[in-house]
Amino acid sequence: MKKLIFAILILISVTACTSDFVSENQNPYTLSTELLLQDNNLLGGSFPRMFTNLSGVQVDDNLLNDCFARQMATGSDFAGGVNNTTYYPTWNTFWRERAYTIMSKSKFVIDKAKEYNVPIFENWAKLVRVLVMSKATAIYGPVIYSKYGTTTSSTILYDKESDLYNTFFAQLDTIQTAFKDKASYTGFKKFDGCYGGDMTMWSRLINSLRLRLAIRISKVAPELAKNQGEKALADDAGLIDDNKYNFTTSLIGDKFPLAMISLEWDDTRMDAAMESILVGLNDNRISKFFQPATDNTLYSDHPAYPYKGIRNGAYIANKDQHIKFSKINSSFTSMTSRKHFTAAETFFLKAEAALRGWAGAGDAKTDYETGVRLSFADWGAGGVDAYLADATSKPINYIDPKDARNNFTSRSTVTVAWNEADSPELKLEKIITQKWINTFTNSMEAWVDMRRTGYPKLPFNARNDSNDSWGIIAPNDFIKRMPFTPEERTSNAAGVADATTKLGGADKISTRLWWDTGASNF
Amino acid sequence: MIKYIIKLLFINFKLLLSMRQLITMLCLLVGISWASAQTKITGTVVSADDGQPAIGATVKVKGANVGSITNMDGAFTINVPANANTLVFSYVGMTSIELPAQNGMIVKMQSDAKQMNEVVVTALGIKRDKKTLTYASQQVGGDELRKASSLNFMDALSGQAAGIDIKTSSSGAGGSTKAILRGNKSLSGLSEPLYVIDGIPMVNNKHDQPGSYGGTDSGDGLSQINPNDIESINILKGANASILYGSLGANGVVLITTKKGKDAKVNVSFSSSLIFEKVSQLPDFQYSYGAVDGADRSWSSTKSDSYQKDYVKNFFQTGLNTVNSISITSGGPKTQLYFSYANTTAKGTMPTNTYNKNNFTFNSSTKLLNDKMTVSSGIIFAQETTKNRPGAGYYNNPLTGLYLFPRERDFNSYKTNYSVLDGNRNLNVMNWFSTEEKQNNPYWILNEDSKLDKTKRVIANLKASYDISKHLKFEIRGNIDYADKLQDYRYAAGSNTVDVDATGKWVYASYNDQSIYTDGILNYNNKFGDLSVTGLLGASYQKNTYSNGMSANSHSGTGLIYPNYFALQNLPPEAIIQSTTDRSIKQGAFANVQLGYKDMVYLDLSGRNDWASTLALTGNDSYFYPAVGFTGILSQMVKMPEAISFAKVRASWSNTANDVPFNKIVKWSTVGSASGISYNYPGVAPFTYLKPEMITSNEIGTEWRFLGGRIGVEFTYYYDVSKDQFVEVPASSGSGYDTQFLNVGKLVNKGVELTINAEPFKTKNFSWKTSVNYSANKNKVVELIASDPNYVIGGNDEGFTSLIKAGGSFNDLYIYHFLRNSAGQIVLDANGKPQKDGTQTYAGNLNSKWNLGWSNTVSYKDFFMSVLITGKFGGVCISKTQAFLDNYGVSKATGDARDLGYVAVNAIQGTTAVTQMDPAAYYSTVGDRNGVMEPYVYSRTNVRLSQLSIGYNIDVKKLRLPLQDASVSLVGRDLFFFYKKAPFDPESAMSTSNSAQSNEIFSMPSSMYYGLNLKVNF
Repeated sequence: MKKLIFAILILISVTACTSDFVSENQNPYTLSTELLLQDNNLLGGSFPRMFTNLSGVQVDDNLLNDCFARQMATGSDFAGGVNNTTYYPTWNTFWRERAYTIMSKSKFVIDKAKEYNVPIFENWAKLVRVLVMSKATAIYGPVIYSKYGTTTSSTILYDKESDLYNTFFAQLDTIQTAFKDKASYTGFKKFDGCYGGDMTMWSRLINSLRLRLAIRISKVAPELAKNQGEKALADDAGLIDDNKYNFTTSLIGDKFPLAMISLEWDDTRMDAAMESILVGLNDNRISKFFQPATDNTLYSDHPAYPYKGIRNGAYIANKDQHIKFSKINSSFTSMTSRKHFTAAETFFLKAEAALRGWAGAGDAKTDYETGVRLSFADWGAGGVDAYLADATSKPINYIDPKDARNNFTSRSTVTVAWNEADSPELKLEKIITQKWINTFTNSMEAWVDMRRTGYPKLPFNARNDSNDSWGIIAPNDFIKRMPFTPEERTSNAAGVADATTKLGGADKISTRLWWDTGASNF
Repeated sequence: MIKYIIKLLFINFKLLLSMRQLITMLCLLVGISWASAQTKITGTVVSADDGQPAIGATVKVKGANVGSITNMDGAFTINVPANANTLVFSYVGMTSIELPAQNGMIVKMQSDAKQMNEVVVTALGIKRDKKTLTYASQQVGGDELRKASSLNFMDALSGQAAGIDIKTSSSGAGGSTKAILRGNKSLSGLSEPLYVIDGIPMVNNKHDQPGSYGGTDSGDGLSQINPNDIESINILKGANASILYGSLGANGVVLITTKKGKDAKVNVSFSSSLIFEKVSQLPDFQYSYGAVDGADRSWSSTKSDSYQKDYVKNFFQTGLNTVNSISITSGGPKTQLYFSYANTTAKGTMPTNTYNKNNFTFNSSTKLLNDKMTVSSGIIFAQETTKNRPGAGYYNNPLTGLYLFPRERDFNSYKTNYSVLDGNRNLNVMNWFSTEEKQNNPYWILNEDSKLDKTKRVIANLKASYDISKHLKFEIRGNIDYADKLQDYRYAAGSNTVDVDATGKWVYASYNDQSIYTDGILNYNNKFGDLSVTGLLGASYQKNTYSNGMSANSHSGTGLIYPNYFALQNLPPEAIIQSTTDRSIKQGAFANVQLGYKDMVYLDLSGRNDWASTLALTGNDSYFYPAVGFTGILSQMVKMPEAISFAKVRASWSNTANDVPFNKIVKWSTVGSASGISYNYPGVAPFTYLKPEMITSNEIGTEWRFLGGRIGVEFTYYYDVSKDQFVEVPASSGSGYDTQFLNVGKLVNKGVELTINAEPFKTKNFSWKTSVNYSANKNKVVELIASDPNYVIGGNDEGFTSLIKAGGSFNDLYIYHFLRNSAGQIVLDANGKPQKDGTQTYAGNLNSKWNLGWSNTVSYKDFFMSVLITGKFGGVCISKTQAFLDNYGVSKATGDARDLGYVAVNAIQGTTAVTQMDPAAYYSTVGDRNGVMEPYVYSRTNVRLSQLSIGYNIDVKKLRLPLQDASVSLVGRDLFFFYKKAPFDPESAMSTSNSAQSNEIFSMPSSMYYGLNLKVNF
């Protein structure tokens, strides 16, 4: 009987003890909030990864804006050759990726910065949101912004574009004030692969970003644009007006995306429009951007420039067909950072602002030429004086030695040299053409300019697979936007329906965004 | 605290005991004589029915604890002490008899048809009379599993029992097995049964599995069991049977009973098998059309007969599996021992793939305290080394380059010169004509990329049982299952740069899996008149620590610092070396009562309460679930016709709750890249509302035996409902979080299982036993996420989607079909190419509808033969390999089409009907990963000769060999298919993950096996 009691005692003792369950169910090799608070890692540690995620890689950058803006083109017959590049939306991940890599992480930072009362990190996180969502809205139009993370309901509403830009500007005001108040703050240095924690640089970025967004809406909301643009130009913190102030983000050990996609995956090549314009204008930046084609029969139409691009929306038989066309320059393999805002862009923005008569914009010619000089310097190319003086060279026509259906006659007849006698429209075309060249590897704003101004005059698709389900793009037109993402259409259907009314047209690739008025530029 | 003390006690006690037993065994081996004055009696035991010898019948001296066992001829020898005279003969299925000892006696034993007592091992290792069980279970003897010399016992189990669907690994020896009992029940888990050795759960963890983009199966825990150690396997098919294991047993249990020592003289048996393995399921290729202008795809329209033809076939080698095993059983009345050693060496059909395994097993049991206490222990040690286990998918796979090779090129030159010196880097790089992401020189992969998997595993247990009284027994057990694992995959600098960095790539993990299990059970057994009571009360404690160690992968982007140097100090700062762990504690208290009335009706009641650490903070970490079962033995209740020997009906209902995986409730951040300053916020809020998953199982069944047991029929119908499934789903993108956890879904599995056993012939020289196992399962996803009815689990895997969706079934296949008009014609685009539908649509289910196994054992004089035919019927499978082969113009179909000049189609372009298409235009549109997958979906129905063995019992006496018996047999597995439509074996699993079933993406072609098996008993 004693043994029986003993046995029952054992049974009871074995079952009753659950006090260590909480610690047992915690992974000891993960970081608790307490550990992260040390050295400010809790608030700062998310930033390096958020910065690298400002731009996508293949399907959410290269096969999106790079292709739509005709800077890179693919020779791979993805999805049987019917895909984004032929105007049939196949990949549509920009919003989702940014939501999960930036919006949710910035929410965590904002919440924790409030909890621990360190508002400067909250402002940083909000600046990152403006940076990335100003790109997202250029793809989709309405985006989830002011309502992000505020509801547990499955329906989350999108912001209308006109509201969104007002929110951006208002947030930039708050952030700028906060940053200026803490101009000597060094607490961000450790996490800042962009500016090494120098607050004055961030203030320059805020002003430049404001100018970029103001120019973006200059046709649809001229008054607001002018106000905001002049505010940016007048701010005492200054603009990114020298290459040493360029806003770049560290790749934190990752490969430079285009180098990987072009050189390792063989999935992207020089675009035919790049060939047409750079070869035509005798632009020395071409050798900094690209490698010669590896088959010398390909460029027999201009042997002095051994480069050959692929037309976007081309007829592609298979991946082998265009594989020997020009890749991106191999120097990109050693790049450790990515460009997001350069001084040249600032001067091209100022040049346009000058054309629009904004106070503080300076002289359009000077701005334009300074922009070109800064761009050449930034890309390490020589011969800028001769280039700026060239009033005769024009973009060339394109020949695809693999398939004549891809040939085109250049729509652009622009030259480089500034001529005060030119019409504002032609001046703007020159400015935007140079801005387009300069944005190589950072093409989102080039795609915005294309839709907003119609410049540069780039070739249309040879192959156009657009259809009524996603919207038809006319043969002499370009894609206008991307549809809301498939996940949103299923899991947030009511939100998307509301967003479609805010968009002001069907949720299709043919619907123009708010600032894409289709009207003349002046 | 107390439990730690108990644990410590266990360990120390076990050590002491092992020492003691070791000494005992040594004494035995040296040969200590047990008896003093005694008489030697020899005799023969035969069956009264047919005069056949009763092999393995137990002979004991009454009251003396001296025993022996009959040999192949039914003969026995026993030393009877001077003070004893009566011998007790017992044999499974026959009535025991007692007879006075007499030299030269011939004992005729009567068949025990009336009783039909079959003792089976049930949950927790408890032995029960099968007729009293309220649920379905099926026993398979160890000999059945060994007949065809499979390296993995689970491979051999396929077709041997109804209701278990087994898919073997396509990656060769040591690969993992996927087994499902009664359908998929879990949305995110694997629905795999619990494996139990001698009553104690064993660890069966799966780590890496290949997918479209490559990868290698890193094996599981089952291959480490020595098939020669298995006495029998009992399959508990539903949760009803396994409730005493709690949630672990929710998907059914495979109970393995290992061999033990016997109260008899020393017996040494040796067996050896030599099995050849040959690739038998290669795709069909063409070798007459090459590529144009050095392209990757062989789309020339000019035929040539001068291209190399045999390089694909010659690439594979004949594999060779050899297993040598020895086992020794020994014992006396007090102590019994079993020892075995087995060595397995295998060379796969893929060159450079080798497998080596050593198994040691030692089981012992000792009776103490006037035989009131039994202490037993067992140790299984396994050491397994696999080199270059074949993977699958696009990356770093030799088969892609081999199959897709443009036909006009010189393959042999690439074979000889698989690497070339890169003068700029002064290192050797792969010599290959293409840089496509999936293209590799096969010989570069074989010779330069080395993959090593190592496992060292110990399963040690100690059990003590004490008879407190005649009716009350207390049993306490402890077990440690510990495995040390190493994964070391090296990819050389100079490989295809899409997946391997310029300086090389390294995947390294070193960890251990450990499970500590203890339980204590109080058994009660009594009879009050017509009422019998069997009951148990117990508690268990299990602590699992898995993946306890580290993993280090080279950083994608920077690779290694120094090329081809694989060491932790050579990882760049961006690489993350991770400490890993996964742990859980589960405590259970359980009780079971079985009430029997007049051996004719039985009522079974069970209940279990679990406490699970993985549900800490939810308030749901303690949960209870019950089960109830009923059995009625009709043949006891009413007088049946003479032909009916036994009839029984049974019904049971049970509820089983399942906990969630480790560390889901509150997640902390992890260290990210960027030289240590970036961390990864988990993107999930604390989820403190999680509940355990719930599975409700209902089953009814009946068992009949006819003609004195020569025909047996068992039938079961079950209806299982899984609810509150734990899933991790992406949070809505505007919610502020990345993922969220939910308790959702309702899955129903219903089906039938039927087993028929018969012995149509049974004469002195000739016997034939046959057995048919049939099972059918129907799975329905009734509901997934109620608030989001369109939600699906599973996404596009480049060309196909295997998904779980409300209204469908588990593993429904969705693909792009051709775009057709209402007349069914394929709509061609302006360029005359076939178009695909805008969205993926349903193409079938990837699981079979019903399965059949038919096994036969025939013996004639000294010859014996066994044949196992298995069939899986219904469902579809998909081959992405074929889609690629077509797209690259290397499949036989593309060659035949070019010979013919066109592909016959029923298509329309504009308003013009098209009946013939250019082969290149057709196949390059249809094939590849993003083409129209419709032509690559096949019926997965297949019927095969699963196992065949033909053997001969050597007459050792005639040959005057110093042996008890010996046999030699020819064995074969998967020798041929009676029926198969798919271009690969659908039962060969590329991956054991849920979403990658019945598909094939450049995985190893399946093999046939044949060889020789030798068994000797000393």
